[in-house]
Amino acid sequence: MDIKSYISSGIIETYVMGLCTPEEKKELESFRQQYPQLNEAILNFETELEKNLVRDATQTGIEMDNQILKALSSLSTPVVDIKINLPKTKKTNWLKPLAAAAILLLALSMVFNYILYRKTRDQQLAIKEKENYSPLPVADYNILKQSTITPVAMYGVAPHSICRCTLFWDKKTRKAFIIIHHLPMVEQNNYQLWAMVDGKPVNVGLINEKIRGRFIEIQNVPAGATGFIVTLEKSGGSSTPTVEETYLSGKI
Amino acid sequence: MPEIKKYTEAELIDALKKHENDAYVYLYNNYKGALFTVILQIIPDKENAGDVLQEAFIMAWKNIDKYDAAKGRLFTWLFNVTRNCAINTTRSKNYKQQLKNDSLDNYVNDVDERTSHILPINQIGLRKQVQQLKDDYRNVMQLSYFNGFTHEEIAKILNIPSGTVKTRLRNALIELRKQFV
Repeated sequence: MDIKSYISSGIIETYVMGLCTPEEKKELESFRQQYPQLNEAILNFETELEKNLVRDATQTGIEMDNQILKALSSLSTPVVDIKINLPKTKKTNWLKPLAAAAILLLALSMVFNYILYRKTRDQQLAIKEKENYSPLPVADYNILKQSTITPVAMYGVAPHSICRCTLFWDKKTRKAFIIIHHLPMVEQNNYQLWAMVDGKPVNVGLINEKIRGRFIEIQNVPAGATGFIVTLEKSGGSSTPTVEETYLSGKI
Repeated sequence: MPEIKKYTEAELIDALKKHENDAYVYLYNNYKGALFTVILQIIPDKENAGDVLQEAFIMAWKNIDKYDAAKGRLFTWLFNVTRNCAINTTRSKNYKQQLKNDSLDNYVNDVDERTSHILPINQIGLRKQVQQLKDDYRNVMQLSYFNGFTHEEIAKILNIPSGTVKTRLRNALIELRKQFV
């Protein structure tokens, strides 16, 4: 991957300022773990942004400060402040211990509610984390185990050098399974797979790039293929590849 | 007068996650001015902007568990929390009522001109820097950063492909960064 051009593409700035798409965000967060120079470039921009914004600070005013600090401190130190004004008559003296008991019960109930709330929240977070984690489904994983499978690493072709896919070609069933590691989402166009047979591209089919994190199945791969390319074509595909829009290429 | 505690970023994050009040006072005093400007550039009215500042810090207090230092610096997170609060406010019923005569088209074309003579905030910081961009870049920045629209929504509003929105936004930010001196 051409990390330098990725760094200077403006992606860092859109990411830090919260203006990129969820796909861009996910991609960058995965790349930053692999490339220390990307991580460093992100931190540099964050520092620059902070300096720039701190320089343009606007005074808030004492009244606003007091109000906000008061609101924050009330969050940090929860105070149970219950005042009950009871009329002082002889007949109602028994209300005092009852009120004390009621306050005690209320306080206990608040503590239990809080514990319950924390527990439920932690459980919900755990469920959410599970939902976000999607390993390769068993059906897909089993395909990899077959002995007839030939894996083909497909690399990005400049200017799309950061693109990556892996193609698993089952010569026996003539099927191919593609998994996208990185390929930009497209709206109106389609990615199309071509097999190189005798040095010439032969149409294999369209790639449904909207399926991410799973195998995309393609039928009828020509037996004599020596390599594959992926091009971006008009919606529905083309009969000959648009070579200048080649995104991926892989040799067997 | 009580001594003001100083924190390293790591110490501060730790104390914030423990919900220590001193840490929030420190955080507020350190960043209130910068974040107030961020809000004022989206919500020009000082009173409303003050409410949003309070909401942003409360939001930070409540969501500090979700902050992950591996994904960015504390200020960046706080900045994004604040901007989101401001954008959400502009979408609230009350706020819309105040601006009910403004159509989307006004936002795209006239918001800078319409407000620049009354609001000096437009003459500083990011607002000013954005105004100096060429039209194509300024429009996507306006819709994305100040109005909080997604790439898809901007594509529809400006009738351009979403890929173009992405490119323009990236280029606009590259241009803006050159002005961060």
